[in-house]
Amino acid sequence: MIAIFKREWKSIFSGMLGYSLCAAYVLVGGLYFWVYNLLNLYPDFGYTLYSTTFAMLVFIPILTMRSLAEERRARTDQLLLTAPVGVPSIILGKYLAMAAVFTVPVAVLGLCPLVMRMYGTVSLAKAYGALFGYWLLGCAGIAIGLFLSGLTENTILAALSTFGVLLLSYLMPGIQTLFTVGSLLALGVFGLLAALAGLLAGIRSRSLTFGMLVFLALCMALGLLYGLQSAALTSAFSVLLGALGLFTPFESFIYGIFSIPAVLYYVSIAALFLFLAGQGLEKRRWN
Amino acid sequence: MIQVEHLTRRYGSQIAVKDLSFTVPTGQICGLLGPNGAGKTTTMNVLTGYLSASEGRVIISGHDILEEPMEARRQLGYLPEQPPLYPEMTVEEYLRFVAELRRVPRAQRAEQVRKAMNRVAAADMAHRLIRNLSKGYRQRVGLAAALLGDPEVLILDEPTVGLDPAQMIEFRALIRQLGRKHTVILSSHILSEVSAVCDQVLILSHGQLMAQGTPDQLAEQLAGRTRLRVLVLGEAETAARVVRGLEGVQEVRAEEETGKTQLEITLTTGADQKQQAAVSLALAAAGCAVLQMETEALSLEEVFLQLTETDSPEPDETDFEEEGGQQP
Repeated sequence: MIAIFKREWKSIFSGMLGYSLCAAYVLVGGLYFWVYNLLNLYPDFGYTLYSTTFAMLVFIPILTMRSLAEERRARTDQLLLTAPVGVPSIILGKYLAMAAVFTVPVAVLGLCPLVMRMYGTVSLAKAYGALFGYWLLGCAGIAIGLFLSGLTENTILAALSTFGVLLLSYLMPGIQTLFTVGSLLALGVFGLLAALAGLLAGIRSRSLTFGMLVFLALCMALGLLYGLQSAALTSAFSVLLGALGLFTPFESFIYGIFSIPAVLYYVSIAALFLFLAGQGLEKRRWN
Repeated sequence: MIQVEHLTRRYGSQIAVKDLSFTVPTGQICGLLGPNGAGKTTTMNVLTGYLSASEGRVIISGHDILEEPMEARRQLGYLPEQPPLYPEMTVEEYLRFVAELRRVPRAQRAEQVRKAMNRVAAADMAHRLIRNLSKGYRQRVGLAAALLGDPEVLILDEPTVGLDPAQMIEFRALIRQLGRKHTVILSSHILSEVSAVCDQVLILSHGQLMAQGTPDQLAEQLAGRTRLRVLVLGEAETAARVVRGLEGVQEVRAEEETGKTQLEITLTTGADQKQQAAVSLALAAAGCAVLQMETEALSLEEVFLQLTETDSPEPDETDFEEEGGQQP
């Protein structure tokens, strides 16, 4: 794992890419810091961070696009997968290297509250709590990017899909408000999900009847729920959309709340996507 | 030592390798010979654990590649068809990375890397970027990487493809030298290469084992085959049917032209006079007078072509050329 971590780190910083990415990130962060905290004398560093989350939409896809896709394209995955290293070590080595790269600009931004402190009173706990949440958010995003990079051997496609997924989750709060209407729509969406689950079950078990049965059972459960308690369906739908909004839990950190659920959310998102990335790599052996 | 038992590998519904079994004892060089798409690369990818077998087992130095993958892979050096190199690294950096990856103890890494570079005569390229290396040197660096960690088994996929003739000869000498200490499996579609380097040859075609033995054995067993050219008076259909019914006849081709038929008969054994007599008597009995008969010995090359091409059980498997890595 250490070997893979070191190689990945070196590879990111072997050309212009790593340096320019970090520099651009610090530049964006520094600009907002300058405008918000220095020019307008706003004492809260959390808001500055909150305003720069959009930079992750560009930073993360570019950072993660090559991680697995490039190995596959250049066939170097043959070296990794036939070496005496397990798939978890490969995924974790790469992930930690990219997380470490992301830590560089975050650490530089970490100097900002100290600068503010030199000229006034600042709650360092609040500022660094927000910075920690910010870092977790980025790390969760990197896990998603790593997973998506493992799905293709085209780095551009990997970057675009990561950007798309992150953008969608960035806009999710807005999308959520669009869908507050009626439980019928929620029923429709859940019905679609049930159909998808049925299709998947059918394909996995290679039996049409089984897939149909799964779909039918899910539909019946949904219908029952709709008949008895249609409000539950709407709120479940809202919760579902909320869980997809990667950037929302971070907001509690800005208000000075060290939110354990948010930490757990980010850690589990990262763990889930790293697991999926490992499964994706392992699966390629089999088909 | 490598044991392969009833190895089958499918891609979806297509079979790339079918029920392949063989053993390569320690210190032997084994050649996998076959045309493009015969299943060589797939076989090698399964041997190294890069792909899993659909059925059957692979045992490397006593360790099953799927059940004890770490132990088995430690005993395994793999040079894929396209050497897995990182262009942004220098040769030395790359080899150090591979040494660490292959669990070479820290104290031995520098020494092993140096040795491996000397072994493949790439030491003067140590500080060059891999991006800037020629195909021949890339191949050497790939081989050096496979040698790190001192694996017992070396698996080399078409190691001489893309090299110039001088490099090819050099590489073959190197492989022969490696074969003294390691167990080597190499693949090739060049017959002369395999018969020059290997102790044992497996001929694959359409994923199936067609023949197996030492190069000499194969030459003897296969080149013993003969072809009879017979010109008879009569219909192609009758003549061919009669000859097909005879013992020792492998293949018959018949061409009819103005009442005469030219038969091309491939015999599985040498064509002695008894065999020739049997053919002419059988033809005569069926009312086809023999006008001319000549024998022709088949070269090893021709036999190889015959084995791998005309015996095709399923002729639509040519798209396995990409084998393994490029499968979607």
